[in-house]
Amino acid sequence: MSSGVMVVESLRMHRGKRQILNDIDLQLHVGEVLGILGPNGAGKSSFLAACCAELPITSGQILYDGQSVLHAKPLDLARTRAVLPQHTTMTFDLPVTEVVTMGAYPFPEATTEQVNEWIDEAIERADIRHKAHDSYRALSGGEQQRVQFARVLVQARAIENLKGHAFLFLDEPTASLDPKHQVLLMRVVRELSRESSTAVVVVLHDLNMAARWCDRLMLLSDGEIAALDVPQKVLRADLLERVYGLPMSVMPHPLNSDHLIVMAEG
Amino acid sequence: MQGRSVAPPLSFASGLLLLSALLLVSILFASVSGAYHIQAIQLLKWLFGVGQLDEVSRNVWVNIRMPRIILGIVAGAALGISGAVMQALFRNPLAEPGLVGLSAGASLGAVLAIVLTPGGLLLIAIAAFLGSLGATYLAYFLGRRSHSMAGLLLAGIAINSIVFSLMGLLIINANDAQLRDLTFWNMGSLAGANWIMLLGIVPWTVLMVSLLLTRWKALNALLLGEREAFHLGYSLSSLRWQLITLVALTVGPIVAVTGGIGFVGLVVPHLVRLWLGSDHRWVLPASVIGGALALTLGDWLARVLIAPSELPIGLVTSLVGGPFFIWLLIRGRR
Amino acid sequence: MILSFSPARLVSAAVAVASMFFAAVGAQTLDPSRLVTLGGSVTEIVYALGMGDKIVGTDQSSIYPPEATKLPSVGYYRKLPSEGVASMNPSLIIASENAGPPEAIGQLKQLGIPVVLVDDKPTIESLRTRVQQVAAAVGLQREGERLLEKFDKELNQAKSTAVPDLRAMTVVMRGGKLLGAGSETAANVVLEQAGLKNVLADQKSYRPLSPEVVSALSPDVIVVTSSTVDSMGGLDKVKESPVLSMTPAAKNDKLIVLDDLLAQGFGLRFPEALSRVHDGVMGATK
Repeated sequence: MSSGVMVVESLRMHRGKRQILNDIDLQLHVGEVLGILGPNGAGKSSFLAACCAELPITSGQILYDGQSVLHAKPLDLARTRAVLPQHTTMTFDLPVTEVVTMGAYPFPEATTEQVNEWIDEAIERADIRHKAHDSYRALSGGEQQRVQFARVLVQARAIENLKGHAFLFLDEPTASLDPKHQVLLMRVVRELSRESSTAVVVVLHDLNMAARWCDRLMLLSDGEIAALDVPQKVLRADLLERVYGLPMSVMPHPLNSDHLIVMAEG
Repeated sequence: MQGRSVAPPLSFASGLLLLSALLLVSILFASVSGAYHIQAIQLLKWLFGVGQLDEVSRNVWVNIRMPRIILGIVAGAALGISGAVMQALFRNPLAEPGLVGLSAGASLGAVLAIVLTPGGLLLIAIAAFLGSLGATYLAYFLGRRSHSMAGLLLAGIAINSIVFSLMGLLIINANDAQLRDLTFWNMGSLAGANWIMLLGIVPWTVLMVSLLLTRWKALNALLLGEREAFHLGYSLSSLRWQLITLVALTVGPIVAVTGGIGFVGLVVPHLVRLWLGSDHRWVLPASVIGGALALTLGDWLARVLIAPSELPIGLVTSLVGGPFFIWLLIRGRR
Repeated sequence: MILSFSPARLVSAAVAVASMFFAAVGAQTLDPSRLVTLGGSVTEIVYALGMGDKIVGTDQSSIYPPEATKLPSVGYYRKLPSEGVASMNPSLIIASENAGPPEAIGQLKQLGIPVVLVDDKPTIESLRTRVQQVAAAVGLQREGERLLEKFDKELNQAKSTAVPDLRAMTVVMRGGKLLGAGSETAANVVLEQAGLKNVLADQKSYRPLSPEVVSALSPDVIVVTSSTVDSMGGLDKVKESPVLSMTPAAKNDKLIVLDDLLAQGFGLRFPEALSRVHDGVMGATK
C-alpha cells in the first residue's frame, strides 16, 4: 500500500444514455497540485465528484492509497479526503467559528486544544479573522466561500494529523473571490501541497490561474482526456483552440518566464 | 441581518440557564395553581416538612395535579426536540413531526380503537402508538428511493391524505358519543396522567431525548446541505433512518397518551433558533426546555381558564401558537 | 342431617341476613348537602325531587330546568376534569353510568367523594330505574315513588290518545349537517311510544341524511329540535331545506318542534314529549 497516492483507472461514467466520462486514467501523488480544465460540459465537476465518491461510476477504479472508494464508509472517506464545493447554500445561520469547527467533526477523538489550533490556523490562512465572530449569513459571498475554505483546511489538517498526508479536492474555489483572495487561496493550496504533504485536485475555469499554480494540468474535452501533463505541454494554442473552440494565444509571462499567459482572441 | 454578531458560547450557556430557570419557576407556579384551591403557602410548608396538608388536598396534588405537570414536561420536551430535529432533517423551518405521518397515523389508530372497540385509555394508546409507527415507516419506505428529503416529504403528504380518508370512512360509522370522544382525543389532553403511566413514559422519553441530544453534530452538518454532510462523513440514508426512527419512538408514545398536541414542535424550535441561532449544540437542549415550558404553562391555562371545566391542551397550543406563529412570520419579513 | 339450633346461632344468623339486606339496598349514609349531578336526565330528576338547591355543579348537557344552566359546569360529562369536579367540594356525585373517563371517576372516588352511577340507557325501564336510584341516593325514596306514579299516570294519558299509524322521523342539526335518529336513540322511543313508525328504524344511532333517501322514506311527520330550528333560521327555513322539502311532512306542514332534551333525552317529561307529538300530528299547536 503506497502512501500518498490517488489512482484513477479506466474511469467511465454514464448518466442514462449520455456518457459523461470515458476512460480516465490518472495517478496523483502528495506534493502535487493537479488542475482540471475544460469547457462547460467537459465533465470537470463530474470527475471531481467521482473522485470524492459523491457520484456513482459505471466502471473503473478510484483508489486512495490502494483502497477503493467504491464501498468505503462515508466516515472513512471523510478521514481521508476533504472537499470544497463551488457553493454551499445554508438555510440557517451559524456562527462562523462553528462552520469552521465542522471540519473536525469526522475526528471526535481529536482534543479540544488540537481542534482550536487547527481552527486558528485555518482562519488565519483564509483571512477571515476579522469576521470570525460574525454570523455566517451576514457575510458576503466571497467571505462565505473563505469560511468554507477554512472549514476544509481544518479537515485537511486533521486528516494529515491522522494519516500523515491528505487528499484535497476543490471545485472552482476562486469563482466568487476578489483577485487578492483568489491569489491568497491558491497560494495556501500550494503551500499545503508542499509543506503538509497534500495531494490536491482543483477544478479551475481560469486558464491563467491554472498556469500559475498547478504542477500538472488535465484538459478534458467531452469527457475524455485531451491532455495530461505539465502546463507547458498542455497550454498550447492549437490544443486549446481545438478544445475550447476559440483562438488562443499562449506566451511566456513577461516577469517570470517559467509561467505562461493565455489569452483568448476574438 | 447585516453584520449581526453572534454571541460567544458563554451567553448560549447562560441562555440555557435562563430557560431552565423559567421552566423551574413555571413548574412551581403550575403546581400551586389549579381548579382545586390549595393554599400555596400551606403546600410549600407541607413539601418542606414543616406543615400539614389535609388529605383531600394532598391527594389532589399528588395524584391528580403533579402527574399532569410531569407528563406536560416530558411531552413538551419530546415534542420540542423532535420538531427541531425534523426542521434540521428537512432543512425547513416549517417542518414538524406530523410531516411524515406521525400524528395522522396516531389519529387513525385512535379512531380505530374508539369506533371498533370498547375503547379505554390503554387500548386507544396502544392503537395510536402502532398507528404512528405504521404511518411513519410507510412514509419512510415509500420515500427512501429518492436521494433527497423531497421523496420523504411527498410520501408523508400522501400518507397523511390516505390516513385522513380512512379516518373519514370510520367516522361515518361512528355514533355521537364516539364522535365526541374522537374530537376530544384530537384536541389533546394531559388529563389521563397517573403515576403508573409515568413510570413507563418518563424513563423512555428521557432515554429517547438523550439519544436525540447526542445527534447535534450530525444536524449541524446537515445544515451545510446533504452533499457537504456526506463529505464530512455522514451517511445520509442511515442518518435519515436513525433520526426518523428516534423521532417516531419519541413522539409516538407521547401522542398515544396525550392525543393531538400541535404547534409545540413547530413554534418552539423556531423561537429557539431566533434567539440562539442555528447551532444544534444549543438548539436541541433549548428546544427540550422550551417545549417543556410551553406545555407546563399551556396546561396551566387549560386547567384554570374555564375552571371548573377544562380546555383541551391542543386547543390552547393552537390558540396561542397559531397567532404567535403568524406574528413570527410577519416579523421575519425584512 | 339434623341441625341443632341454638338461640345464639339464630340471632347471629338473623343479624347476618339483615346486614346483607341492608347492604343490598345501599343503606350507607350518603350526604346530599352538596351535589354534583352529571347527565341531563340526572339533573332533571334531582330538581324534580326538590333537591335542586343542593346542586353546586353540573355538566354541559344539564340544560333542564333552565336554572341548571346557571350552575357551574364541568364540561362534557364523558371527559370529566377530576380537579375541576373536586374543586366544587361535593359531598356526593350522582352521575350517568356513561360519565367518564373511568380513570377520572376512579380518581374522584380515591379522594373520598362518593360517586353514585345511575342507569342511563335510552329506554323507559332505564328511566324508572334511574329515578329510583337517584331518589335512593338523596334519601328521598318515597318522593321518587311518587314521581314515578305521576310519570306513569301522565304516560298512560298520553298513550291513550289514538293516533294514526303515520310515518315519522326526528332530525337534529349537528355540525352543520342534518342528522336523523335511528334505532337505539331516545328520539326513536319517543316516536314509537307515540304510536308512530320511525322510518329510520333500520339505521343505528344518528346519521347524516341524504335528500334521496329521505324522499324515498317519505315521512308524514317530522320532529325537529328547537336548537335545530334556531340554527336554521326559523321553521320555514327548515321546511325549505333541500333534505326535507320533498317530504309529505314539509308539504303538509306537519313539523313538530320539541326542545332538545325532550326530543333526545330520557327524562321525566317524556309523557309531555308524547303529547306534544300527538298534538302536532292531530294538527293542534306546534
